[in-house]
Amino acid sequence: MFFSISFKISLAIFVLGTLYRIINWFRFKIGTDALSFTMIDRIKSGVIGIFKTIFSLKIFSIIKVLILDVVLQIKIIRADKWRWIMHMCIFYGFMLLLLMHAFENQITKALFKNYASTLNPFMFLRNLFGAIVIFGVLIAVLRRKKTPKILTNAHDSFAIFLLFSIMLSGFVLEGLKIISSPIFDEMVSSYISGSDDITPLKAYWAKKFHVVFKEKININDEKLLSEGESSHIDNCASCHSMPETAFISYPFAVSFKHFGNTLNDFRVDRWLWYFHVLSCFLGLAYLPFSKFFHILSTPINLLLEPAEEEKNKVTSRIIGMDACTHCGVCTENCSVAQIYQVTQNPNILPSEKLASIKLLSRGKKVEREKLNEIAEGSFICTNCYRCTKVCPSGINLDDLWTASKNTLIQQGYFEPHNWIAQKSPSEWAETVKKKKDEPSDLIDNPEIFYGCVQCSTCASVCPVVAASNGNEIDLTPQQVMNLLRMGLKDLAMASKMVWNCTTCYMCEENCPQGIRVTDIFYELRNKAYIRFKDVKENV
Amino acid sequence: MSRIELKCDLLVIGSGIAGMAASLFAANRGIKTIQIGKTNTLSFTSGLMDVLAVHPIEEKRLWKNPWDAIDTLKKDISGHPYSKVSKDTIEKAFKELVAFLKSADVPYANYQNKNVNIITPIGTLKPTFFVPESMLNGVSALEEKKPCLIIDFYNLKGFSALQIKETLKDKWQNLRTAQIKFLDSSKEQFAEQMAYDLEKPKNLDKLAKEISPHIKDAEILGIPAILGVKRHSSVLSKLQELLGVKVFEIPTIIPSVPGIRLKKAFEDKLQDIGVQSFYSQEVIQVFHKDDFVFDVTGAASMFKIRTKGVILSTGRFFGGGLSADREKITETIFNLEIYGPFLRKVWHELDFFAPRGHNINNCGIETDEYFHPIDKSGKVIFNNLYAVGSILAHNDWTRMKCGTGVSVATAYSAVNAFLNQKG
Ligand SMILES: Cc1cc2nc3c(=O)[nH]c(=O)nc-3n(C[C@H](O)[C@H](O)[C@H](O)COP(=O)(O)OP(=O)(O)OC[C@H]3O[C@@H](n4cnc5c(N)ncnc54)[C@H](O)[C@@H]3O)c2cc1C
Repeated sequence: MFFSISFKISLAIFVLGTLYRIINWFRFKIGTDALSFTMIDRIKSGVIGIFKTIFSLKIFSIIKVLILDVVLQIKIIRADKWRWIMHMCIFYGFMLLLLMHAFENQITKALFKNYASTLNPFMFLRNLFGAIVIFGVLIAVLRRKKTPKILTNAHDSFAIFLLFSIMLSGFVLEGLKIISSPIFDEMVSSYISGSDDITPLKAYWAKKFHVVFKEKININDEKLLSEGESSHIDNCASCHSMPETAFISYPFAVSFKHFGNTLNDFRVDRWLWYFHVLSCFLGLAYLPFSKFFHILSTPINLLLEPAEEEKNKVTSRIIGMDACTHCGVCTENCSVAQIYQVTQNPNILPSEKLASIKLLSRGKKVEREKLNEIAEGSFICTNCYRCTKVCPSGINLDDLWTASKNTLIQQGYFEPHNWIAQKSPSEWAETVKKKKDEPSDLIDNPEIFYGCVQCSTCASVCPVVAASNGNEIDLTPQQVMNLLRMGLKDLAMASKMVWNCTTCYMCEENCPQGIRVTDIFYELRNKAYIRFKDVKENV
Repeated sequence: MSRIELKCDLLVIGSGIAGMAASLFAANRGIKTIQIGKTNTLSFTSGLMDVLAVHPIEEKRLWKNPWDAIDTLKKDISGHPYSKVSKDTIEKAFKELVAFLKSADVPYANYQNKNVNIITPIGTLKPTFFVPESMLNGVSALEEKKPCLIIDFYNLKGFSALQIKETLKDKWQNLRTAQIKFLDSSKEQFAEQMAYDLEKPKNLDKLAKEISPHIKDAEILGIPAILGVKRHSSVLSKLQELLGVKVFEIPTIIPSVPGIRLKKAFEDKLQDIGVQSFYSQEVIQVFHKDDFVFDVTGAASMFKIRTKGVILSTGRFFGGGLSADREKITETIFNLEIYGPFLRKVWHELDFFAPRGHNINNCGIETDEYFHPIDKSGKVIFNNLYAVGSILAHNDWTRMKCGTGVSVATAYSAVNAFLNQKG
C-alpha cells in the first residue's frame, strides 16, 4: 500500500516533470533569431524533422552516434579516462541494479525461473553493482575536490548525496536483514509447518547466517548443527545462499551483531527499508528537475546535433542546455576562465553561465543586477570554441553564447566597446572626474610614455588607422600618447582608437622610442572598464 | 635557466644605416654574421644619402663637390671619421651599397658626381649626394626651370605645395600647384599607407585621373614620396605612363616612404644573402673573455649570442647607443669612454641656432684608424670591437650633411679591418 502509493506519486511527478521539460524545449527561447517562431511552429518543425531523419540515410549516422557517444561514451574517454570510468560505473552499475533489483518481479523473475534475491549469483551481483556505483561516486567526489577549477553547486552535491544514500542504505539494509530474527521468524512461519522444532535450524542459522536471536542458542553443539543443516537443506537452501558472498553487506552484518537485539527489537531494518525505497522514489520524482535529466536529454541532444532547420536550431539550443551535466569540462578548458579569479563573477565560466542563460531563456524578468553579471561574463567570452569542442554532451555552446549575447544586446546590455561608445570621451571624463582609481604602473607612470616624440610611426603602421574610414577612430595612437603625457588619462580611456585597437603590436614593434603603445592601450581598456562600469547605468 | 646560444663570427648591433651597411658588407665577404636591432631608425631617415655638403659649419659653407670638401675637412678636423678613410674607400662602399639596393628594386643614383639639391616638404633645398632615382628628375628640372606642377594631398599633414611654391618662387618661377583628394580623403592621410594603396593598379588609375586635368602645360610633376613601397619602380613608371609626363618625388616629413623602402629592402634582402637578423630585439648585457657573449631580449624571447667580433652601430641618443642623464653621457652596452663635453652646462649653446652647433652634437666614441674604440690614453679597449656610424665622435652630421656617408664608409672600413685581423 505504502509502496504502491508512494511509487505512483513519484512516478506521476516524474512523468509530469518530464513532459513539462519537454514542452519547455519548444517554449523557451534564447537568441534573437528565436523570437520569430511560435511554440507550435517549433513543435511542428521538430516532429517533421524527426520523421525526415528516421526515413533518411541520416538514421545510420544517428545509430553510430547512439553506439559511440551514448552507449560507449567515446567523447568522455577521449577527454579523461577517469571521468569515463566514473560515468560508466555510475550509469551501468545503477542501470543493472535498477533492472535486476528494483524490477526483480518484472524482469529478473521472468528471465530466471528459480530467482530469489537471496540466492547467488544475484545476491553477490547486487553487492557488486552497488560497489561499482559507490566506486563511481567516489571518483566523482574526488574529481570535484581535486580540480579547483570545477565549481560544485547544490544540485551536484544533492545528486551525489542521493546516489550515495540509496546505495549505502541498500547495503546496510541487507546487513540488517541478515541478522534479523523477526524476519527469520516470519520466514519460518510461512515455510515450515508450526509443529516442527526449529531450534536446530535456529542454531544453524545463528552460526552460518549470523542471525541474532534473543534467547541463548548453543552454536557449538555439533549434533544440533547437523540437524539444523538438514532442516536448512530441506526448507531454506533452495532460496538462500551463504551470506559471505554479499561481500559488502556481510561485514556490516557481522559488525551489527553486538547490538543485534536492539536493532531487531526496533525493527530498524523496516525503517531503513522505508528510507531506501523513499530515497529511490525521491530520485525518480526529482529526476526531471535534476542533473539526472541528462540521461534523457543528452542522448537526444547528441542525436539532434547538428540541427539544420532554423526552428529546430532554436529548439535544440534549449535541449542543449538541458543536456548539461554540469561536469565542468568546458570551464576546465575555457580560455578566459582565469578572469574569474579576478572578478569572481561565475558567469565567466561556461559551466556556470549556462545556468544563468537558462534563466534568461525562460523569458521571465531577471533582476538587473543579475543581468549585469550575465552580460559581463558573456561579453568576456571570446567565442574561441574550445568549450564546444570538449563538451561530452555535444552541446553547441558556441552557438548558445552567440545567441545569448544577442539576447542580451537586444535587452540593452552591450559589449563594453559598445556601451563605452555611447558617450564621447569628454563626457566619460567628466562623469568620472572625481573618481579615484588604483594607479597602474603603465598608464600612470610617465616614464613609460614620456619618450614619445610624436613621430606618428605608430599611426603609419597601424592597420586600424589604415582601415578606418574616419569614423572608427577619433585619435591616432601618438595622439593618445599625447593625452597621457598631458595627464588626460580619462579622456584617453574612452577614445575610439583605444577601443578599436586589435592589439596586433605593430605600433609597439615599430616605435623608435620603444614605447609600449599596445600594452598601454590594453591597460587603458581594462581601466576604463572598471572606472566606467559603475556609472554606466546612466548611459 | 639555460638559453639557446647562437654562434657567429661577427655580431652587428644596430639596424640603422650603419648597421645595415655593416651587415651587408660582412655577408658579401662571406663572414658568418648576426645582426640585432631594436626598433628600426631607418624609417626615420629621409632616404637621402649625404656624403658631405657643409664645412666648416660656422661658415655654413656649401660644397658642390663633396670630394673636395672631404680633402679640406681632413686637414681641419683630425678626429672626424672621414680622416680615417680614403675617398676611394667611401666610393667603393657606396658602390657596393647602391648595387645591393638596385638588386632590391630600390634604385639610387647620383648626378654628375656632385651634390644635388633636393626640394624638402617646406620648399627649402637640401644638398645631398645619392638620391632615390625617383627624385633625380626633379634635380634637373629645377636646374632647367622646366614648367612644373607640384601637388599635395588634402589631409596629408606636413606637406604643402603652396608653401613649396612660395619658398621657391625666386628660384623656380614656372611652378604651379594643385591639391588632390586621395582615394578616401575624409580621414587623415599617412604617407606609408598611401604608398601601399598605390601599389594596387586600380588606385593608381584613379589617382592619375584626379591629377590629369591639372597637368596642362607642365612638363614634369612633383609629388609627395608616396609612390609604392615594395613595388616602387613599377608604380613610378606606370604613373608617368598614365600622365604622359615625367614625375619626381619630394620627401615628406617622417616617417617618410623612401626611408621605409630602405628599411624593407634591408630587412628582406639581407636575410637572402645570409645575414641572420633579429629585429625588435635588444642587446642588454655583455660578457667578455676572448669571445663576447651577449644576452639578447625581445618581445617573446631571450637568448645568448657568442661572437668573435662586434660592430657597434647603435647610433647616438635617438638610436639608443648613447644615453644622457642629468650628470653625464654614457655608452649603453659596453660603457665605453665618451669623448665630449663633460659638464652638462656646456653640452648646449645658449642660442639654439648657434652657427657652430652644440658641443653635444660632436660627442661619441673615439677610435683608432681601424675603428677600435680607445680609452683616454689612446689604448684600444677590445681588439675585436669596432664602432661605426653616428656613435663616432667629432661629426656633427646633421649640420655637415655627412650622416649616411660616415655610416657607410666607417662600416666598410671596420668590416675590412675585422677580416684582415681574422687573417
Ligand atoms: C630624422 C632623420 C633624418 C635623417 N636624414 C638624413 C639625410 O637626409 N641624409 C643622410 O645622409 N642621413 C640622414 N639621417 C642620418 C642617417 O640615418 C644617419 O646616418 C644615422 O642616423 C646614423 O646611423 P646609425 O646607423 O649609426 O645610427 P641609428 O640610425 O641611430 O641606428 C642605431 C640603431 O641601433 C639600434 N640599437 C641601439 N641600441 C641597441 C641595443 N642595445 N640593442 C640592439 N639594437 C640597438 C637602434 O635600434 C637603431 O636601429 C637622418 C637621420 C634622422 C634621424
